[in-house]
Amino acid sequence: MAEYIFKRTYQMTIVFFLFLIFSYLLFNAIPGNAFSNLLLNPSLPPDAYEKVIETYGLDKPILERLQLYIVNFFKGDFGYSYKNFPKTPIELIAERLPRTLMLFSLVNIVAFYTGFFIGKVLAWRRGSKSETWITVTSVFSYTVFYPWFALMMLWIFGYKLGWLPIGKFLYPEKWYDAPFDSDVVFASMIKFTIIVTVLQFIAYLLTRGIESLNTRKNIRFGSLIVIFIGSYFYWNSGSALIKKPYAADIAFHMILPVMVVTIVAFAGTALLTRTTMMEVLKEDYILTARAKGISQKRIRDRHAARTALLPVVTSFIFTIVTIIDGSVLTEQIFSWPGMGQLLLQSVLEEDIPVAMATFSFVGIFALIAHLVADISYSYLDPRIRIKSQG
Amino acid sequence: MSNQNETNLRKELRKQAIKRNWKLFNQSKLGMIGLYIVIIFLFLALLQPFLFITGIWNRAIYDPVVGYDEIRQNLTVVACPKEFPTEKYETAADCPARDEVNIKTLYLAKDVEVGDTYEAYIQPAPPSSKHLLGTDSLGRDVFSQIMEGSQVAFVLGLLSATLGVGISTLLGTIAAFFGGRIDRYLMRQSDLILMLPSLPLLFIISAFAELKVWHLAVVLGVLGGLGGSVITIKSQALQVKVKPFVDSARITGGSNMKIMFSHVLPNVAPLALLFMVFSVTGAIASESVLSFLGLLNIDMSWGIMIYLAQTDGFIFSGIRYWWLILPAGLAVTLLAGGFYLVGRGLDDVFNPRLRKR
Repeated sequence: MAEYIFKRTYQMTIVFFLFLIFSYLLFNAIPGNAFSNLLLNPSLPPDAYEKVIETYGLDKPILERLQLYIVNFFKGDFGYSYKNFPKTPIELIAERLPRTLMLFSLVNIVAFYTGFFIGKVLAWRRGSKSETWITVTSVFSYTVFYPWFALMMLWIFGYKLGWLPIGKFLYPEKWYDAPFDSDVVFASMIKFTIIVTVLQFIAYLLTRGIESLNTRKNIRFGSLIVIFIGSYFYWNSGSALIKKPYAADIAFHMILPVMVVTIVAFAGTALLTRTTMMEVLKEDYILTARAKGISQKRIRDRHAARTALLPVVTSFIFTIVTIIDGSVLTEQIFSWPGMGQLLLQSVLEEDIPVAMATFSFVGIFALIAHLVADISYSYLDPRIRIKSQG
Repeated sequence: MSNQNETNLRKELRKQAIKRNWKLFNQSKLGMIGLYIVIIFLFLALLQPFLFITGIWNRAIYDPVVGYDEIRQNLTVVACPKEFPTEKYETAADCPARDEVNIKTLYLAKDVEVGDTYEAYIQPAPPSSKHLLGTDSLGRDVFSQIMEGSQVAFVLGLLSATLGVGISTLLGTIAAFFGGRIDRYLMRQSDLILMLPSLPLLFIISAFAELKVWHLAVVLGVLGGLGGSVITIKSQALQVKVKPFVDSARITGGSNMKIMFSHVLPNVAPLALLFMVFSVTGAIASESVLSFLGLLNIDMSWGIMIYLAQTDGFIFSGIRYWWLILPAGLAVTLLAGGFYLVGRGLDDVFNPRLRKR
């Protein structure tokens, strides 16, 4: 397994360099050279003029410029933003990354679990009326035109019913006398979400080996309650207590985006789980399990669903990129000031250094997500796990 | 003589295979629904040029981009109250109602009073027998726009899918057949394309290139063709490559090219067809998203219709101006869903393990 991880990391490094070269050439192909656009400004002082040429190596041939770009990339030096001048792209990204991460990770987790669960049930109830209806709904939400759907949901919940806020990620009037800025709250919210997820995952791993389904369910339910109580105490103690109303404000603004993205994103996982489950259910060992008189639920959860999980995880690796795409749109529609909105704005305003930095960051983000999913897949798949041990 | 017999036999076999597959496809209900949806939209796409050529529709009125129809309607002049709710109106949005006009907005017409009738142009006009889905805020026929949009969707979807599947089938087969360095390079390239977030990439491309429909089709096709489908088709081709008939073809002296094109490719084709149908869905969605964000240089499409409805401020009007919001969004959803369902039906045909017990 270590060998597999090493090989995969090595391959990903190559892909990463390919990506850097590709993205530089892409930006370089912009007509009129996007970097020298800045030099057209007649009020630019001569020393700044020199500095721009030096930063991007504009007087050098393309190969040297590419080299310079890669070196600068590892230094974290993308120059300055054209539109928000004194700020660098890195500063802009650092400001917006936590907001995107929060939304993205939450949506991912919720969508994957819902999708897997619904797909499992779908395959099991093959041929019943509820199966047709759930399939039709999933196909609808899989193919629905996302911006349109999101706007409709905004209209219903934000405007007509007025339950949830329309756009933005906080009510500014609540933050007038806040002792810290929103990124601090975001950071602690991300920390909290990660801890809860890890705890839940550990509880899941520990109970995996328990034979009786009922005991296992009870223990898992118990662990959930413990986590709930723990988080209640966490938010009512110490420094978290001051942050609580602000965190609640952000969470309130997150409900609608998370809900909409989940409705759209769960369907792909659900439909795929259904297909793989149906393939697995025709295997001989399921027949054997039935003949042995094992209870239906047990066959579904322990014999079929576990095997069916593998291709779903594989495809989930691919959907990560789709979800990043979706989050770009989500941020635009719900005016959530994250990375995606930054990218779209900088592209529309031709703020090339920011666009370049954001694009690279989104790419790296996707790459790391890919690698993590790959490694966890290698852990899940006994064929890879055992082959490398023996 | 025997050669002709052989061709006839092959024709007969092919006919039988198509008949058998059609029967299997017919069994999947959802697949047939998808096929009907696709056929309806194809009919709509072909109907518009027919109506223009035969002169049933006047181009000056019904053209989806530059057409204009002046629709006059008699409106009752009312004075909106300052406080709501009143007996007649519940909220401020209800006044003036559809056949009424607020006297405050008529400050240019001096001699009108409350209770008079006032003749005015109304755009967007609600559906009528002349305009089946009403007109938009510039007086253009929405139904005609839907038809134009389906032409764009079909051209774009089919062009990009054909291009993409052509590229990926060729590359996948080459990777399986030659292996070695070519294979390794192609796989890394697929990894890269798979990893690239396609929407941001399309933003950037559209920022510096004036994308027209067929440009976008080429971009989407190439991106789709170099991506993950190469890996899947390669694994399928690897399975075919070790079959006995490939060996016997080699023994009888078939060249690499001959084996690749006449023995391996036909066996990969069903999978490629499947990819093609699914990638049409993606292409339609990408086009709509890009034109929704206003990044494409297209006169009219479903995405642009929603973009216009949003920028003109009708998107939150809800039920009142439903013909501006619902048809375009539903059309994208239905056509993409139709192609997806057809793909699933085909999946049932080509993948025997999914069939009903």
